[in-house]
Amino acid sequence: MRLGFVGTALAIGVVACTGREAPPAGRLVDDLGRAVALPGPARRIVSLSPSTTDRQFAIGAGGRVVGRTRWCDFPPQAAAVPSVGDGLNPNLELVLSRKPDLVVFYASAANQGVIARLDGLGLGAASVRLDRLDDVPRVARLLGRLTGATARAESLAARFGAELDSARAARAAGANDPTRRVAVVSWDNPPIIIGAGSFLTELIELAGARNVFDDVAQPSAQTGIEAIAAREPDALLVLGEGVPAFARRPEWQAVGAVRRRSFVAVQGSEFERPGFRSLDAVRTLRAALRRSKGR
Amino acid sequence: MKWLALGAAALLALLTAVVVGPAGFSGEPATVAIIRDLRIPRALLAFLVGGSLAVTGAALQALVRNPLADPYLLGLSGGAGLGAVGAIALHLDSPWVLPASAFVGALAAILVVYRLGVVTGAVLDPRVLLLAGVVVGAFAAAMMGAIMAVSPAAELRNAFVWLLGGFGSASWRSVSVFASYAAVPVTLMYLAARPLDLLTLGEEPATYLGADVERTKRRVYVAASLLTAAAVAVSGTIGFVGLVVPHAIRLFWGHLHRTLLPAAFLLGGTLLVFADALARTIFAPVELPVGVVTAFVGVPVFVLLLRRWPR
Amino acid sequence: MILEARGLAFRYDLVGNPAVDGVDLTLGAGELLALVGPNGSGKTTLLRVLLGLLEPERGGVWLLDRPLKAWDRRALARAVGVVVQREEAAFPLRAREAVMMGRYAHMGPLGAPSARDEAAVDRALERCDVTALAPRWVGTLSGGEWQRVRIARALAQEPRALVLDEPTANLDVAHEMELFELAAHLARADGLAALVVTHHLNLAARYADRLVVLHRGRVAATGPAADVIRREILEPVFGWPIEISRWHETPQFVPLKRSESTR
Repeated sequence: MRLGFVGTALAIGVVACTGREAPPAGRLVDDLGRAVALPGPARRIVSLSPSTTDRQFAIGAGGRVVGRTRWCDFPPQAAAVPSVGDGLNPNLELVLSRKPDLVVFYASAANQGVIARLDGLGLGAASVRLDRLDDVPRVARLLGRLTGATARAESLAARFGAELDSARAARAAGANDPTRRVAVVSWDNPPIIIGAGSFLTELIELAGARNVFDDVAQPSAQTGIEAIAAREPDALLVLGEGVPAFARRPEWQAVGAVRRRSFVAVQGSEFERPGFRSLDAVRTLRAALRRSKGR
Repeated sequence: MKWLALGAAALLALLTAVVVGPAGFSGEPATVAIIRDLRIPRALLAFLVGGSLAVTGAALQALVRNPLADPYLLGLSGGAGLGAVGAIALHLDSPWVLPASAFVGALAAILVVYRLGVVTGAVLDPRVLLLAGVVVGAFAAAMMGAIMAVSPAAELRNAFVWLLGGFGSASWRSVSVFASYAAVPVTLMYLAARPLDLLTLGEEPATYLGADVERTKRRVYVAASLLTAAAVAVSGTIGFVGLVVPHAIRLFWGHLHRTLLPAAFLLGGTLLVFADALARTIFAPVELPVGVVTAFVGVPVFVLLLRRWPR
Repeated sequence: MILEARGLAFRYDLVGNPAVDGVDLTLGAGELLALVGPNGSGKTTLLRVLLGLLEPERGGVWLLDRPLKAWDRRALARAVGVVVQREEAAFPLRAREAVMMGRYAHMGPLGAPSARDEAAVDRALERCDVTALAPRWVGTLSGGEWQRVRIARALAQEPRALVLDEPTANLDVAHEMELFELAAHLARADGLAALVVTHHLNLAARYADRLVVLHRGRVAATGPAADVIRREILEPVFGWPIEISRWHETPQFVPLKRSESTR
C-alpha cells in the first residue's frame, strides 16, 4: 500500500523553512534542515519518491528527471524515464548510473547513509517530506528553486494554496451540516485503518465527511473489527473497485456499514499521495459520498 | 487445589475478554450483537489456539527430549508465511485466501521436514527433525524475502503484519471449524500421554517398558504438526505459549503427561485470552499483534522459570 | 524354560562380519545366567536380538515357548524387565513416578494407577531396598541408587525374566556386590530368570549358575563356572595370559603381569 510507504517513513527532521528566500543558485535547505549543495539549477534529477516525481512533471521540470523509482506511476510520461529501483535505501550504483546532479529523496532515516555518500561525491541531495496537503505548495516551491522552474512552480503552488484555503473555508462554513462518518479500511486481516496522520483524513474532511478514527495520530494503525463496529461509521472507504472481498466474511457482518454494503470505493494515485490533484480527489470523494448516501 | 485455581483462572480470563472492548458492556442490542458475534468467538478462539499451542509444545518437548522445543521449531511457520506471501503476491482474491494458503504452505513444510527426519528404515530421528525444521524455516524465510523484494504487490507488507499473529478474524464459523479440527490431534496426543512419559526416558528404555516408539513418534509428530498448522492458519505465528506454558505446568504438576497435557491446555488458553484482551485494550483503538504481547510477557516469565527448574 | 535362542545370527550391514554368529542360549526360571566376553564380542547386540529390538538373520528366539515375533511390545514388557546400561531422563522425575512407569504395560492409556499398580510398586521398591528414596528426584540420586530404582522399575513390571546390561559399570565395590546379591536373590527367592551382562568375570563366576562366554559373536563356552573359567578357554578369548586361582571352590581368573608371565 503506497500509503504505508509514505506513512511509515520516519521523518526525523522538523519541517524546514517554508518560503525562505534563497539565492537562485540554489543554496537551499531541505525538509531535514540540510543545505542542498547545488551550483546552479539541477539539470539531471533522480527522483526517489513518487510524490516528487509527480511534482516535477507538474511544474514542468519533467524533462530533467532522468531516474525514478519503480513505484512512480504518475504522470504517464514518467513511465518513459528509466527506473532505478526502490526509493527507500536505494541502489546507489543504479542511481549514479543515471549521472544525476541532484537526487531527491523521501525524508527518512533509511536514506541517511546514501545521502552521506552522495555528499561525499559532491552531488546534490535533497530530502523532501510530502505527507500532508500543506506540504504540497512548499515542496513545489522547493523543487522549483532546485530546478530553476521557479515561475511555474510559484504559480502552481500559489493557486493550490489558494484553492486549499477556500476549500477549508467552505468546510468551516458548512461545519454544522450533517457529516457522513467514514472509516478507511486499507487491509482486512488484520484490520488496518487510516488515522489522522494521513492526508486521506484531510481529504475526507474537505469532502465534508469525518474519519471516525481521527483520534488515532498515526497515518495507519492495526485495530479490531469491534473498534470499527463500535464507532458505527456510515460507510467504509476503500481504495479499489466495488465491494471488497472481506465484505463476505462472517465476522465483518458485525459492522453496520458492511451489512448495508455501504462502501465508498475510490481509485487512483491522487488518493495515494498528496499532490496538485488532491483537490480533484476531494471533489471525486465528495461525489462518491453523495452517491452512497442513498444506501 | 491446583485444578480449581486453573479452572477459575480460565473462567476469569474468558469473562474478562467478554466484558472489555470498545463497545463496552451493556444490554443495548447493538452492543449485545457485538459481544455475541465478535467478542465471544474471539475469546473462544484465543482459548482454543492457546490451549492447542501449549499442548503441542509439551508433546514436542517429550518427543525431541528437549525442554526448549516449541511448535515453531517444526519449520511450519515459515511454510505458512510463505504460503500467505505467495498467495498475496499472486493477487489471489478470496476472503479466505490467507488462512487457506497459510495452511497449505504449512502442510508443505511439514511434508518436507518429515521426509528429511526419516532416516534409514522409516525411523523418525527427533534430532534430525529439529534440524530439518530449522533449515526449512530458514529457507522459507529467505523465499519470502525474495518475493518481497521482487514483487510489485504493495499488499505484501500486510502479510507480515498478519504473520505477527492476531485473532481479529475470529467468528463463530472459524471457532467451530477450528474446534472440530483440533479435537482430533489433541485427543491423539492425550492418548499418547503414557508413551510420551516413557519416551522421555530414552527410546530403548521406552521400548522395553512396552511403548511402540516408532508409532508414538509418528503420531505425535503428525498430530502436533497438523494442529500447529491450523493454529497458524487461523491466527498467525504466536510465540512463547508453546514453550513457556508447559514449563510453568511442570513446576506445579510434574512431568507426567496425563496431567501435564490437560493442565497445559487450560493454562495456554487462559494466557492467550488474557494476552489478546491486553493486546486490544492497552492502546485502544489501536491493537497490538498478539505475538508481541506474548513475547513481552513470555520472556521474563521464561527467565523466572529457568531459575526455578529443579534438578 | 523361560528364554531360548537357537542358532542366532545377526550382522549390522550386509558385507561386514557378523556381530552374532550362531548363538544358542537357554535361560530357566530361578536361574542367574551371566553373559561375559570382551568388548566387541557382541554382548549388547545379542541382547538386543534376544529382546526383539533387532531382527536376526537366522535362527529364532522363544519366550515362554512362544516365538518372539508373536509377542507385542506391551505383552513383552509384562514378561521381561530390562535395565539398560545407561539411562538419562530428559525431564526430572520422582523415583516413585519412575518406578510406576514399569506398570504402564499393565495400564490402559488413561486412568489413574490402580491399587494393584500401587501395591506392585511398593513391593518392587522394597525388594530393591529403595523405599526411602521414593519421593526423591532421580537427578539427585547417586549412580548406585538410580541403578536400584531402575531395577525396582523392572520388578514393578512383574516379569518372569530380568535382564541387566552391564549393571556394575561405574559402580563402586559395595554397590557392585549389592547388585549381584540382589540379582542372585531375585533369581533364587522369587524364581525370576535373570540374565546379567557383565565385565566382571569373577563376580559372575561366584554368583551365576551358568556363564556364557562370547567371543567374536560366537559362544566360546557355556556352563557352570567350573567348566568355563579355564585357561585354555579364556586366554584366547581375552587375549591375555591368565592363571586360574580358587576362592571357596569357585575358580577365579587372574590376569598375569608381564613379569609374571612366561609366555
